[in-house]
Parts: sequence; structure tokens; C-alpha cells
Amino acid sequence: MHKTTLSHIGRLQATYVVVTGVFVLFFVGLIKLQIFEHSELATLAENNRIRVVPIEPRRGVVFDRQGRVIVGDRPSYTVSVVPAEERKGLTIPHLAPILDLDTTQIRRRVKRNAASPYQPAPIRRDVPFDAIAVLEEQNSEFPGVNYQLDRVREYSVDLRAEAFTGHVGEVSEQEMERNPQADYRLGSTIGKKGVEKQYDDLLRGVEGTAFIEVTALGEVLGEYKGKERVPPVPGCDLTLSIDNDVQLAAIQALDTQDQKFSNMKLQSDSAPIIHRAGAIVAIDPRTGEILAMTSAPGFDPNTFSGMITDSMWQAISTDPAHPLLNRPLAGLYPPGSTFKLLTLGAGLESGVIDENTTFRPCLGGYQFGNRFFKCWEKRGHGVQNSIHAVEMSCDAYFYQLGLKVGVDQMYRYAMLCGFGKKTGVDLPSELSGLMPSVQYYDKRYGKNGWTKALVLNTAIGQGEVLTTPLQLAQFYCGIANWGTVYKPHLVTKVTHPNGRVDQIEPQVSFQLPFSRSTLAIMREGLRLVVEGGSGTARRLRNNLYSVCGKTGTAQNPHGEDHSWFVGFAPIENPEIVVCALVENAGHGSEVAAPVAKKVIEVYMKKKLGLLEPQQQPEPMAQVGAKELRP
Amino acid sequence: MRFNYRHLDWKLVGAVMALSLIGIITIFSSQYYSNSAYQQTYWLRQLVWLVLAFVAFLAVVRFPQRLFDASAYGLYGVSLVLLILVLAVGHTRMGASRWFDLGPVSFSPSDIAKLAALLTIARFFAYTRLPAYSKRRLAVSAIIVILPMMLILKQPDLGTSLTFPVILFALWFWSGLSPWYLVLIVSPIISMVAAYYWLSWAVYLVALLIFLASLRPGLIFSIGVVVMNLAFGMITPFIWERLADYQKNRILTFLNPGHDPRGAGYQIIQSKIAIGSGGVIGKGYLQGSQARLDYLPERHTDFIFSVLGEEFGLIGALIVIGLFTFIFFRCIRIAARCRSRFASYTCFGATAVLFFQFAVNIGMTLGLMPVTGLPLPFVSYGGTGLLLSWVLIGLIVAADHHWQEY
Repeated sequence: MHKTTLSHIGRLQATYVVVTGVFVLFFVGLIKLQIFEHSELATLAENNRIRVVPIEPRRGVVFDRQGRVIVGDRPSYTVSVVPAEERKGLTIPHLAPILDLDTTQIRRRVKRNAASPYQPAPIRRDVPFDAIAVLEEQNSEFPGVNYQLDRVREYSVDLRAEAFTGHVGEVSEQEMERNPQADYRLGSTIGKKGVEKQYDDLLRGVEGTAFIEVTALGEVLGEYKGKERVPPVPGCDLTLSIDNDVQLAAIQALDTQDQKFSNMKLQSDSAPIIHRAGAIVAIDPRTGEILAMTSAPGFDPNTFSGMITDSMWQAISTDPAHPLLNRPLAGLYPPGSTFKLLTLGAGLESGVIDENTTFRPCLGGYQFGNRFFKCWEKRGHGVQNSIHAVEMSCDAYFYQLGLKVGVDQMYRYAMLCGFGKKTGVDLPSELSGLMPSVQYYDKRYGKNGWTKALVLNTAIGQGEVLTTPLQLAQFYCGIANWGTVYKPHLVTKVTHPNGRVDQIEPQVSFQLPFSRSTLAIMREGLRLVVEGGSGTARRLRNNLYSVCGKTGTAQNPHGEDHSWFVGFAPIENPEIVVCALVENAGHGSEVAAPVAKKVIEVYMKKKLGLLEPQQQPEPMAQVGAKELRP
Repeated sequence: MRFNYRHLDWKLVGAVMALSLIGIITIFSSQYYSNSAYQQTYWLRQLVWLVLAFVAFLAVVRFPQRLFDASAYGLYGVSLVLLILVLAVGHTRMGASRWFDLGPVSFSPSDIAKLAALLTIARFFAYTRLPAYSKRRLAVSAIIVILPMMLILKQPDLGTSLTFPVILFALWFWSGLSPWYLVLIVSPIISMVAAYYWLSWAVYLVALLIFLASLRPGLIFSIGVVVMNLAFGMITPFIWERLADYQKNRILTFLNPGHDPRGAGYQIIQSKIAIGSGGVIGKGYLQGSQARLDYLPERHTDFIFSVLGEEFGLIGALIVIGLFTFIFFRCIRIAARCRSRFASYTCFGATAVLFFQFAVNIGMTLGLMPVTGLPLPFVSYGGTGLLLSWVLIGLIVAADHHWQEY
């Protein structure tokens, strides 16, 4: 059995054979790879040196309804640092003061490119030309620093259109994680708000690809001949329903020289212009097209196009005036008396009243149980029918009407009129508002923990009910359009880079739950608000066109009353609905009604050919169709 | 006898030192273009470790040789405790808990376990003096390696755990067991691989029977071998199902590296591209584009040989495998001429450990073996690995110095 055992010498020799065998095996393996397969593998190694560089497409331009540019691009310089070529202790400290950034910010941006050290990491977009001149003159001071011609998004500042245009910005890491299928890269520019965000897929276009050859030392030799570049596909252009003239009127209407709105002491005789906080929405009720939309105070979206610094972001986001709040669709306000039209409609339609129903006279309020609910008119309105109650905006009448309609029916009609839910406008981050139901009250106050007194407040648009200016405008669009409500929208036309044009057709959103006769009574009430002898918006009356609407004065816990006006013109065949809200400004008839009037007036005068040519914002420079080289 | 440094095998030490320095030079190159300041200092850390390793080497050489066999069992016990501890409280990196974190350095008890297992078997064989075929001897020595091996498999670290059977087989062989028996012992594993396809399994089983008939190793042993072969062949599909995905991937990419060029096959392909594009004379120091452009992963540890092959070409690669071959020849010669059985076993086992790592690592970078994650001794970055390799060389050099002693 032991005959197979090797001798001591045999084992030693066997071991030598194994070691030699492995040596020979590796020798042969090396010769195979390094001599016979050398040229093939060397080519593969060369191919490894071809760098794939993305080419950014041109972002689509946004036009107003008459083809005037609202958002475009302008040429600018972007400064980048190639991480692998950066010299420590030299590049970044020299660069920081020129770009007006601090060194840690630059370092953080360079670090983000650590995975591809030869790819330039964008440090700052929209660098002023004098800074570029310094970089060019003293380029030995800045190893690894590049700059390239780029585009930066430009928003018309005069239009203050950020409420609907939104703005662009650099994609964040969270956004990249949330959309793994989107072709986002670090440094990609994407829409962050408004139309820019909603239509980002269309505006952005498709990134192209260039193949760049790089030497063993990391120098870029130029485009690689062996592989054709894939050109980028530019984004689609969008045409909005916005009318620049009306938009301009809307922002100017919110400005005032009335010192009541200033918290500064007047220093000179000429009163400075004060930008009041508020929102204006103008919609064409026949189609739902939004003609103007503004939120004040706003912000300059151009700030975000370059690279926003932390301190700027801090200043904007912590401003007590909330410039980032998009008031027309995300501002929640009690609608005040503008809501009385809903109470009236509900009362008429459910049959609890008719046109001529009167209630107990208004003696400056209404006694309900042991509580006296005040009317805004201390002297009282006496006895009136429903139409005159609208004209004079009598609270006492609507308290009694609200009681008759009841919480359930108020809720039902409000929901059918589009309150308490989103309008579905083609903009992101819209809020639904709040319309209290029985369930809501039960949850909030407990079953039997609340009384009918709450419906008194709801009936006049106070209490729990919260609406957005857009919802109110939508409701009045329905009244103006005899019950048919079109979905509010901005984009009317998408122009594809190949020339194809998609028209966006108006879409019926819903029908108001009111018959034509009910609507006629509501409209008569609105007419009297302007044309009646004791209407709250008498000052809107004029000889050029007919106009009607409803004022509102909304008490709120944040200081003085909010001032509302919602109205439309011309009465016979309404073309424009304007909803104006001025925060903490007092009576609707005193502030918001004149504001809305200015907007309506511009629209009507333009229609009648009476508009004197206004100073238009300078046309913006456009980067040509020629694609920029990376 | 007075200790005299001049009597040490300086040719062997010189070759080992040359490999260590080549390692540091290559580590420097592999991370030269890294934009992490920490990675750029890898070479410096390796240099510090080399100094420590050399001090440890000298300590082992100067140590009274008696202490090694005296402390073997104790060290073995300690290493088992450490292995259990590392599973319980060790630091987890990339899904494996192999390290203890000791402030700035982390160390892996697997390396100590290798040394302990080697010394323990050597001592057991040297002092019990049982015949090579004694069942008790075979069984006890098998248990000695299986315990730490199972604990390391649990970490999981397949590459390192394979070192343990290598020590066992090397010492079985060196202490007189016929290599054919070793083939029969590992035959169930061959059967498992052959059973991947029914025809290859059938051919293999016939060959095994012919082999047994001619070798006649005894009836019970033969029956055992056949049963084990059948059993292992039949459980292959079940084992395959139970393997972790990354283990399956490694085996599949070994069989066909192209099947997943961006995933598991990526390393092998990029390693072959690096070595092959180096050609005969290489691209020159610091000029390797594969390593520089981040195409080669793990280029300072497991794939250091690829960097070397790219930058120094066939000539550089041959120098390295030549140095290794020289070292192994020298070590085996020392093992053969030691008069002390314990020293001889230790030398041979230590050589086997180094040789196994060398063969598996270079085989991997040349695409001849699956990716196992074993570093190249002396050359790859890694402090404890370098230290252990130098300690093993210390044992060998010391044994040589005292070769006339019993």
C-alpha cells in the first residue's frame, strides 16, 4: 500500500515541478497577452481613452400669445474646473475672489465631479465678461480652469412673470434619485417651478453626445474622428395664452403711491412706488386661457438661472414677505363677500329662495341665538331682495340665506363649483383650498361640538373656508360663460424643433350646478354691484364698456382685511374675468376693485383699439440655432 | 551559538525586499492620478508598513526557535477566539465582517489564524510522530484547519478560507502522504464541477474508477471516495442554488468574462487590456492609461500586477514572476534540508501559503482563474498582509539559519 509514497527527494522534485509549471504557465499567459494579443488589447486601451461628453441642447423659448418672448436664452460664460488639472492651494484660492464665491463652495462643486476627474466641473454660470477677461489674461495663475460659451435662461424682469414661468436651476441629488429614468446628470439645468417645471420634458430637449479624444496626459486632442457626434435635439418652444399687455397692466395695478401701504417714513415730496402684496389672475372665460397671472412680491427668476449662492437663497427663502409663495395658486385666503354668489346660487338652485325672497330686515346685523352677527354696514340695509343683497353685499341677508341652505348643501354646491379641489391648471404645486363639510366640522370640533352658527360665516366667505385666487376666478368664469367652466391653462401651442405645431385645445372642466335662470339672477346682482345706485363697486362704471363683479373684504388673522374683487367684462359677452387680491389692504371696493379695473381697462381698450402703445420691454438677445461646442 | 547576521540567506531576503519595493513603486503609480489625497498616500503607508514588517521579520529571526512550537497551540486558541469575536463585533465593509477597527488601523484576524494553523499542524505532525497514513493524524489535522476555515467562510471570505486546506494538503504531502491520495481526497470537488454537464460527469466517473483500480488504496477508502464523488456530483444543482449571487457571478464570469463586461467580468477584461496593452517594454512608469483613467478597479490591491504589466510590460512582469519563482525554489530547498521536522513543516507550509496566493492572484489578473480577492504577497497594498508575508519569510530564514539544529 505504501509503494506509491514518494521518497524525500521525490517530493522535493515534485514540488519544483509544480513551481516551475506555474512559472511556465504564467510566462505563456503573459506572452499570449503582451505579444500575440498586444495590438488588439492596445486598441481596446485606446478606446478607453475616448471620452463621451454630453452636449446640452437649446432650451425651448416661451412666447406670449402674440409671439413676444417671455423666457429665452442669452449667451453667457460658464467657468469650470477640471478636477485632475487643478493645482492645490493655487487654483481655487485664486479663483474664489474673481467668481465672488468662497473656496469651500468651489471645492464642493469640484468634488462632485470626483468620479470623472477629466470632465470639467461647472463652478459658476453667467460669469460677467470682466471676470473672463482676468482669467484669459492671467491664465497661468489658474491651472485647470476653463470657461466656455454657454447659455443662460433669461426672464423678462418687467413682466414679473415668475408666478407662471417659474425658473430653472441645477438638478439636485434628490431629484436625480427620484427620477432614475430621466437623463439627468450632475449640473443639468432643469425646470424647478411653473411652466419650466410642468413642461420640462418638452423644453429641455435631448442631450447630444460628442466623442472627445484624450491623450495619455489627459490633454483634450479634439473630437474623435472614428465616431460621429450625436447632435442634440433642441427643446420645443411654447406659446402661452398670456397677453404681455394685460400682464404688464396687472403688475402695475398692484403698485401704488398711497402712503398707507408704506411702512417707511416719507423722505421726499415725490412719493415712491410701493409694491403691494397680492395676486391677480385674468382668464378668458370662453376658453380658460390665462391672460395674466402675477404674484407680489415676487422674485427675480434670473437669480436662479446662474448659480445661486447660499446667502442669496437664504435671503429669498426667509423673507417675511414670502416672495416664493405663488399666491394665485398656492395662496389660501378666505374669499369674503365674493363667496356670496355661491351662497346665492345654492339658495336659488335648491329652491329655498327665489329672486324676490326677502328676509328679516338688516339692522346692521343679524341676531342668531344669543349672538349678534354684524353686517359690514353698521347703519343696516333694511329689507331687500336677493339681487339687491348682492348689490349692497348685505351680510345680514346672507347669514339668513346660509342658515336656510345649510352646511351640507353649501358644501355640496361649493364642491360642484370647483372649490376645495385643484383646478387642474397646467402648473405645478397648486393647492386645493378648504371647503368645510359636516365631516370636517365633526372631526375638528367633535360630533355635536359645533352649531349652525358656523354656516353663517361660510355663507359670507369667512370662517374655515379658504380659496385660491385661481379658484375664485374659475368660479366667476363659469358665471360669465353661462355655466360652462373651461380648465384654466397657459400653454396654447407647442412648436417642435422639426416645425410641427401642436395646438392645445380648450378643455371643458365642469358645468356649474346652476340653471340658466339662476345664472341670470346672479349676473344681474353682479351688474348692479357696478351699475346699481348703491353698488359697492360703482366707481368701475364707465362709458367705454360694460363691466360687473363682486367686491370682497376678508377678515383674516394676519392683520388688516384682505381686499378682493372678481369681475368680468363685457357683461353681454364676457371675454375677460379678473380676480384681484390685495393683501391686508382693507375694503374691496376701495383697493382691489380699482386694481382689477386697471387690468380690465387695458384689455378692453386694446380690444377697442384705444390702447396707446406702451413701452415694451427690450427684445431679448437670442442665442442662434447654432449649437455650442462643449 | 552566537547569532550572526552574515549567515542569513540574504539572497532570499533581497528578493523579497525587491518585490516589496516594486510593490511600493507600483502602488505610487496606481494612485498617482487619484484625486483623493488619502489614496495618494497609500504608497507612504505601505512604506511604513514595510518598515514594521521588516522589524517583525528581524524579531522572528532573532527569536529563540523553541518558542514557536511552544506557543503554537496557544496562538491557535487565541486566533479562534478572535475569529469568533470578529464575526460578532467586527467592522463590516462591503458586506463582509473581517476587520477589527483599532483607531487608525484595522486588522483582520484571518492572517493570524493562517499563521496559527500552520504552526499548530507543524507541531502536531512533528511531535506526535504518527505514520503519514494514520487515520487519527489525518482526522486531527483536518479538524485543526476546518475550524478556522469555517469561521472565515462565515465572514464570508472565500479566497482566504481556501488557504487553510492548502496548508493542510501541503503538510500532508510534505510529511509523506502520496499526492495521488490528495487527488482522491479532493476528487469530490472535481466531481462537483464535472457534474455541471452529464456527459463530462460520466467520463470523469469512469476515469476515477480506473484510477482507483490501479492505485488500490484500500477497500473502505475506495468505497468512501466513490460515494463522496456520487454525492457531490448529485448535489451540485442544489449547491448552485444556494450560492450567493456574487459567488455565482464570479464563477460565470470566470467561464466567460465577456458575459457581463460592465459588471463582474469588467475587472478581468480591464486587467487583460491593461496587461496586454503594455506589450514587451510597457508604457512606462506613471504612463499606464488603464490604471490612470480609473478603468482598473482595486488597482492598488488585487490588481496591482495589472498595473505592473501595463507600465513595465513583459519584461517587468517576468522580473516579478521570476523573483517569486526564485523565492519559492529557495524556500523549498530550505524546507528540504532542515533537520528539525517542525522547522521543515513550517517552512514548507509557509511557502505553500505564499505560493497559493501568488498563483491565484496572478492567475486571476491574467484571466486564468476566477476573481477570488487574494492579494499578491509583498506587492499588493495592505499592511497586515505584508506583515504576515514577511513573518512567514522570517520563519523560513530563521529555520535556514538554524537548519543544523534538531
